[in-house]
Amino acid sequence: MEGSDSLEQNGSDQPESQRRRQLDRLDREEAFYQFVNNLSDEDYRLMRDNNLLGTPGEVTEDELFSRLQQIKDGPEQQNNSTSAPSTESGEDPVEPPENSEDPANGDSLLDWLNTVRRTGNTTRTGHRGNQSWRAVSQTNPNSGDFRFSLEISVNRNLAEQQAAAEGEQESPQESPQESPEGQEVVASAEPQVASAEPQVASAEPQVASAEPQVASAEPEVENAEPEVENAEPELENAEPQVPMETEVVEEPVVEELAVTVEPEPEPELEEVVSQEILAEPPSSPAALPVQPPLSPSPRRGQRRARSRSPEPRRTRARTARSRSPLNLDQLDGLPNPRHAHSSQGLNSATFAPPVSQVEGSSRTRQHVLSRQSIADSDVQPSRASAETVPEAQNVGSQEGEAAGGEGAAAGRRPPTIMLDLQVRRVRPGEYRQRDSIASRTRSRSQNSNNTFLYESERGGFRRTFSRSERAGVRTYVSTIRIPIRRISDAGLGEATSMALQSMIRQIMTGFGELGYLMDSDSDSSDSNRGANTPADLAEALNNPDAATPAAAPVADVDEPPLATGVRARTAEADVDEGLATAPPPPGGRARPRPPISLEEPSSLPFLRLAHFFLLNDDDEDQPQGLTKEQIDNLSMRNFGETDALKTCSVCITEYAEGNKLRKLPCSHEYHVHCIDRWLSENSTCPICRRAVLISANRESVV
Amino acid sequence: MQKASRLKRELQMLSTEPPPGITCWQTEERVDDLRAQIVGGTGTPYEGGLFLLEIKVPERYPFEPPKMRFLTPVYHPNIDNSGRICHDALKLPPKGAWKPSLNISTVLTSIQLLMAEPNPDDPLMADISSEFKYNKPLFTEKARKWTQEHAVQKNMGVVEANKENTPDQKASSRKREAFGTQQEAEESAKKTCV
Repeated sequence: MEGSDSLEQNGSDQPESQRRRQLDRLDREEAFYQFVNNLSDEDYRLMRDNNLLGTPGEVTEDELFSRLQQIKDGPEQQNNSTSAPSTESGEDPVEPPENSEDPANGDSLLDWLNTVRRTGNTTRTGHRGNQSWRAVSQTNPNSGDFRFSLEISVNRNLAEQQAAAEGEQESPQESPQESPEGQEVVASAEPQVASAEPQVASAEPQVASAEPQVASAEPEVENAEPEVENAEPELENAEPQVPMETEVVEEPVVEELAVTVEPEPEPELEEVVSQEILAEPPSSPAALPVQPPLSPSPRRGQRRARSRSPEPRRTRARTARSRSPLNLDQLDGLPNPRHAHSSQGLNSATFAPPVSQVEGSSRTRQHVLSRQSIADSDVQPSRASAETVPEAQNVGSQEGEAAGGEGAAAGRRPPTIMLDLQVRRVRPGEYRQRDSIASRTRSRSQNSNNTFLYESERGGFRRTFSRSERAGVRTYVSTIRIPIRRISDAGLGEATSMALQSMIRQIMTGFGELGYLMDSDSDSSDSNRGANTPADLAEALNNPDAATPAAAPVADVDEPPLATGVRARTAEADVDEGLATAPPPPGGRARPRPPISLEEPSSLPFLRLAHFFLLNDDDEDQPQGLTKEQIDNLSMRNFGETDALKTCSVCITEYAEGNKLRKLPCSHEYHVHCIDRWLSENSTCPICRRAVLISANRESVV
Repeated sequence: MQKASRLKRELQMLSTEPPPGITCWQTEERVDDLRAQIVGGTGTPYEGGLFLLEIKVPERYPFEPPKMRFLTPVYHPNIDNSGRICHDALKLPPKGAWKPSLNISTVLTSIQLLMAEPNPDDPLMADISSEFKYNKPLFTEKARKWTQEHAVQKNMGVVEANKENTPDQKASSRKREAFGTQQEAEESAKKTCV
């Protein structure tokens, strides 16, 4: 219609000229077909793939011809221009995310996702209902790596978070108004839940070990991360009322979901998707050490120097920490060298770690298991409270892990959900090294106190879920592995969004499950442990130290000086833990713990997130076309006079001698240029609606 | 792609061998703005009426379906106040069933069929739909009345069609008032048919 409007503008008054124009257009269309028919296959493909064909009738034959010449002459140039120099930092070369930043509404999230690969780096924010989201994507055209991170905060602290997180670029649009309520709710709720317990605040102690490998392996990954992290909401006013004596620690729940594509031997494109979702409760009021808000500055990952530096990448300093007086004192006193760092690192406490380590070394299947078995070390005996710092050393490299630290009891209500999706394309020969990295490694120490493993395989996605609990920190690991083949089937190799969507759908489904498991876990654990929980907790905390006294020192040794951001974080985590745990008597049993209040609906943001996606997906139900490769795989022939069927039902035109026809698996034939266009957006035969894709897929896969 | 040449051919076909009860022509100077008239089927509440449709042919036709809507008010579960039609052939897959081998003539024919056989399970107008399902006599009567009121022309002829805009607007505003109270229901109903 648009075209018609433009035509009409002057046309309505002058039917004559209008008519002439139409005639011209018809002529040009004829010429177009002529031209297309005369093209060699190769040229045709070349032009089509570069979108040079345009719309028949709009471009003259001469123009087409010159385009063809151009594209033939300078294909290299073009390529060069499109591919940015690949550097280690995946995102750098590409345009800064700000470019396409678009404060559109949340509904179009998936839409945006769809275009993301085309647009390079983008950042978008929006909100919908009580969720606000911020999505950042980066594409490295060279390697084909794609990274997408999404933070969704539910219902609270929107304003603060926004401010902190997005300070620089993001528009304040994110509805400040929502925040107040959310916070209040939280605030009120927490005291009860949290009250008695000395839980470990830090969600990811586990971080540390994995890194070295990571670092070596892939520079790119890390760079990418920084952006992701900022999500934390700071609760500033949140719980003023909390009495000093009780420490209220909210357990941060960090969940990471890693989706890894198993690299198959076949030299195809491989894509790895790792997704992490972190849900974080707002800053824990009690736990935090002093730090005045860290310098809010450089939080944007991209611009900023790569992640390793301990400095505050996440600006979202948690104000909360400063709040708790208790901690301050303790902190000051800390013997730990780390603390110094910790101050910087603190902010990030809960979340970041996962991110940074996104890529680990190659993962093996057993990772989850192995991880657990590994004993870890603990940190700082010095801390009276026996906090353990889980240092993970799984050299073995595991795939993704999720760490959900969860104070056992307290309700978890993650206001923020972060989803980090990374897609990496690995080409056959090159990137071998990466390939290995493709998997993510995350190690964390578990003293394998309680571990729980759940595996399922469904629809080709292997899902592993494990839970372990140690030192009051529950770790949930959910790994979804998608066989590569599926991905290529899905057409991810072609950078299509549909594949991404379906992957996300799968992933989200996984999350729903995860959420369910978590709930049930907590239930079961509650029931198992009943009232003792607190004791258990305390024990757990202490145990590590006691059990492996030797380990602790080792751990310390192991830890290199805070070379990396992660380190810093770890330290921070330690601190947090320490603070949290400090109060409980060493014996552990000391405090009775109030019955655990189960997490209510609060744990459901995952589900909500899932719905978010699913809903969007529905809205978005767009026709899915075939990839160029798939189209090219369909047979083609030249029309001969003897053929019976003479009309292309797309253009309702009789075939002429020499026309190129394409035959679909259902035997229906069309002009090549007619059917190709249809198939680029649809996957069924225009006559019989049989799916073209299925057979096409079969061919390409097998 | 093939829009212009295809349209040309289609118009030729439509003029040389139009489907029964359907006429389609192009507005004065534009190829992609068409009008069509559907004769209400005998035995239906629309009998005796002439229903005018507006057809906009998108730039990407035939890869996108033509956009059609009734200019004449129609009392029908799948046709809303503004004349929009809930019909799968008018939508792209996967939700719809448009395919390039369909054409304006076939789509008009299928709309004609839809008029004769409403699809209350995929309603655009929830109230009319439930009426159709549960109180058919009432529905039939109302539909007939609307037909008399809006679709029966004293002076028949294609030329008249052009003048329809004026009465048409009145009609639709009247209609809108009539449905004012049910607006909300409609809204939700529309969602089901998208």
